[in-house]
Amino acid sequence: MHRSPIPIAVLFGALIAFAGNERAFANSPSVTAVLSNSEAVVGEMVELQIKVSGSRDARPPEDIAVNGLEIHATGTSHQFEMRNFTTTSSVTYSYRILPLQTGRFTIPSQTIQVGGKSLRTPELTLNVADSPGSSSASRPTQAAQPGNAGKLVFAELIVPKKTAFVGEVVPVQIRLGFDPRAYPRLSDGPEITGQGFTAQKLQQSGENEETVDGRVYHVVTFKTAIAAARAGKFEIGPVKAKAQVMVSRSRRSPRARSPFDLFNMDDPFSDPFFANPFSQFGERREVEIKSDPVALEVKPLPPSAPPGFSGAIGNFTMTTDAKPKSVQVGDPITVTSTISGRGNFDRVGAPVIEDERGWHNYPPSSKFAKDDEVGISGTKTFETVLSPNETKQSLPVMEFAYFDPVKEQYATLRSDPIAINVEGGAVAAASPVAAPQESPRTSVATPAKPHDILYQLTERPKAAQSFTPLYARPTFWSAQLIPLLALLGLIGWKIRQARIDNREAQRIAALQYEAAELMRKLHRGDALPREYYAEASRVVRVKAALASGSRQIDPNTVDVDTAAETFRLNSDSRERLRRLFEQCDEWQYSGTHNGSEKISPEIRRDVLEFIETLRA
Amino acid sequence: MSTRENSFASVPVCEILQTSKRGRLPYILAFCCATFAVSVVVSPVFAQSDAEFAKANQDYAQNNFKEAISGYETLVRSGQWSANIFYNLGNAYFRAGDFGRAILNYERALALEPHHPEATANLQIARDEARALEMQQSWPERYLQFASINQYVITAAVAFWLGLFCVVGLIFARRRSATIIALLTFSLLLFVIAILAIYELDHGSKGRALAIVTGRNVQARLATADTANSVLALPPGSEVKILSTRGDWVYAALPNNLCGWIPAKSAEQVQL
Repeated sequence: MHRSPIPIAVLFGALIAFAGNERAFANSPSVTAVLSNSEAVVGEMVELQIKVSGSRDARPPEDIAVNGLEIHATGTSHQFEMRNFTTTSSVTYSYRILPLQTGRFTIPSQTIQVGGKSLRTPELTLNVADSPGSSSASRPTQAAQPGNAGKLVFAELIVPKKTAFVGEVVPVQIRLGFDPRAYPRLSDGPEITGQGFTAQKLQQSGENEETVDGRVYHVVTFKTAIAAARAGKFEIGPVKAKAQVMVSRSRRSPRARSPFDLFNMDDPFSDPFFANPFSQFGERREVEIKSDPVALEVKPLPPSAPPGFSGAIGNFTMTTDAKPKSVQVGDPITVTSTISGRGNFDRVGAPVIEDERGWHNYPPSSKFAKDDEVGISGTKTFETVLSPNETKQSLPVMEFAYFDPVKEQYATLRSDPIAINVEGGAVAAASPVAAPQESPRTSVATPAKPHDILYQLTERPKAAQSFTPLYARPTFWSAQLIPLLALLGLIGWKIRQARIDNREAQRIAALQYEAAELMRKLHRGDALPREYYAEASRVVRVKAALASGSRQIDPNTVDVDTAAETFRLNSDSRERLRRLFEQCDEWQYSGTHNGSEKISPEIRRDVLEFIETLRA
Repeated sequence: MSTRENSFASVPVCEILQTSKRGRLPYILAFCCATFAVSVVVSPVFAQSDAEFAKANQDYAQNNFKEAISGYETLVRSGQWSANIFYNLGNAYFRAGDFGRAILNYERALALEPHHPEATANLQIARDEARALEMQQSWPERYLQFASINQYVITAAVAFWLGLFCVVGLIFARRRSATIIALLTFSLLLFVIAILAIYELDHGSKGRALAIVTGRNVQARLATADTANSVLALPPGSEVKILSTRGDWVYAALPNNLCGWIPAKSAEQVQL
């Protein structure tokens, strides 16, 4: 079956256009910066990653100078992702931070030049504790390996904190090391065992080669985050995983002599390789990898949480914007609150309105964009629709309460006042609306008089009404037959008129032609009197027919009276006309003037002048 | 000539009448039968619906709003639609506290009669009570809504035929008349404006795709799942414009100029 290629081409073009559009959208550059851990101890490495999305030609800072921290660039990695026709490319610049002293350090905002634009990273905070030897990272441990699989693999669980609060998100790193000569293959896991906490899905974050105790390992790093569900002392881990590694075989017996090697000449073909060529590579065995558990003390949140606290724990900042800023009373204003930082974003709720008086707010919507693999860092955006019930000059203050685990106290972020312009009168509200704060004495809640709906209607039309538009009803198109028929009637009438006019024109043309011919003959003067008078009377009849106009007189029926009336002749002219017609009849019927007599020029001139004077 | 006059004179007048009517008689009889049949069938229906309408009004007057709603809904289901029935039904829903359906029925009354003053007034009150969100109209829609779609349809039809008559007049006229040319230009312009107005009003934010949120706690979402991120919370009575339907979900344009998926059962289209 032949199928037109046009729809396919159109679809293909649309897909390309769509993909191009998405790519264009995805290419608007943005920059984020995250720390692998916001808390560390002196001497413990922390990784800083600056991720530039939507551009590949960014110029990152070469040096970041912070007193008390030693920061070195370690590498660059490129990512390109295509998902549902949406392509994203990003470059990640990695830095290694070595804390040299204790304290709270702020890594300042860095300027990244991206294609002529200057983008700035957010400020990051790193808390360094004074316990250089107390890193809770478990030491690399050998897996319980059978046989000679020892030191082929190891597992390491890194929990950067020894204490945490209930609900606080603690980043966890798992490192699995494999001796590359053992051709390792991870078959199961890793998995964090333990109770009293919830763990997010493990995300593989990188692979690299490391030398541990003089031995090169291929290290695979996984990241996740855990949150304690209750207070107490817990053991996180151990981390368990299973891998398949290749271990060498032990020779069971000395090489057998070949029966052809009679003189022990060490025949190369007697080598067991020819019996089992793969036996020299060893055998594949499954080994279990297990790390040491890590202790974590979980403390309860302090009491007296501020109102509006939804369980958010971490370090956050908030910005607020509103659109539109000029509205009428009752119109919706969309307030966008953006909460950025590091913490348990699943418990980050929408900011609450400090003073709801004079406002009606609708349930907010939210979306979260994470900046790291496990969603500890990111930005959560809330859109709340507010509707003013009265004239206002500014938006209400939005509050967001959270618990800061570093300061070990609650904090409340407040939005800056945003000036708006609300016009119009007060809207009747279902709930009482109190007066503004500025006039507390008169702030008695005055319930607005609720509007009541109007009465019932008892009349109804005899015929049912329809939602169908008129143009979709058959009656409408049937009614169009009336003007259509009228138009066709008009056209038919016009055509008939044209035909009639055409026939009349033809008749007039024929008469004019005949009159001209006869006048030419009369002027020649060589005609016999009989012919001359016949032609002269015929000219008079034809001219009378032409002059009759709409009466359309037949020239054959024109007599003296008709012609005289048509030409409106006086008595003298009428008499001359009568004589002309009598002369014609006399020459035609009497027979007395037969012969070759000629008409005198005077008579001919007289007749011609008379005929030419005949006009309607 | 005289013979013809004699022949007419010899036939009685009543016989002439009978002869002329003989051809039309079957049509007249058929018309009478049809009229009778329509009156026999339709009159009881109207009488019955009148009684139901009066009963529902009485229930409303006695504050039996559920019974009144049931009565009006029966009339609506039977296809006896009128602006006043939808208006009264809206009032009954308002009294029953269902602002979403009250707004829906006021909108239906206004769809049938755009200049229904009582429905306009009560719709505003219901919207204020429900905090319902309204679709934002484009500027052509705002300017064109002084007339209804049906009025624009009639205008377009009149302008079309007037233009055609002018064209025929120009074709057959011996000389071109400036008046006819001006009339033709005017009618063509009027026709184009009327067609554009019909399209704009029919496909605009208040067109045939307009739907009203009747459910409570309705959230417009980014995807067809209850767990998908929310785009906008829609109070009952909020207006949405249905763009497409997928299973139990409809994709709709929202009052904040965004689009989102809402459960199909939580919104009803205004035009039945």
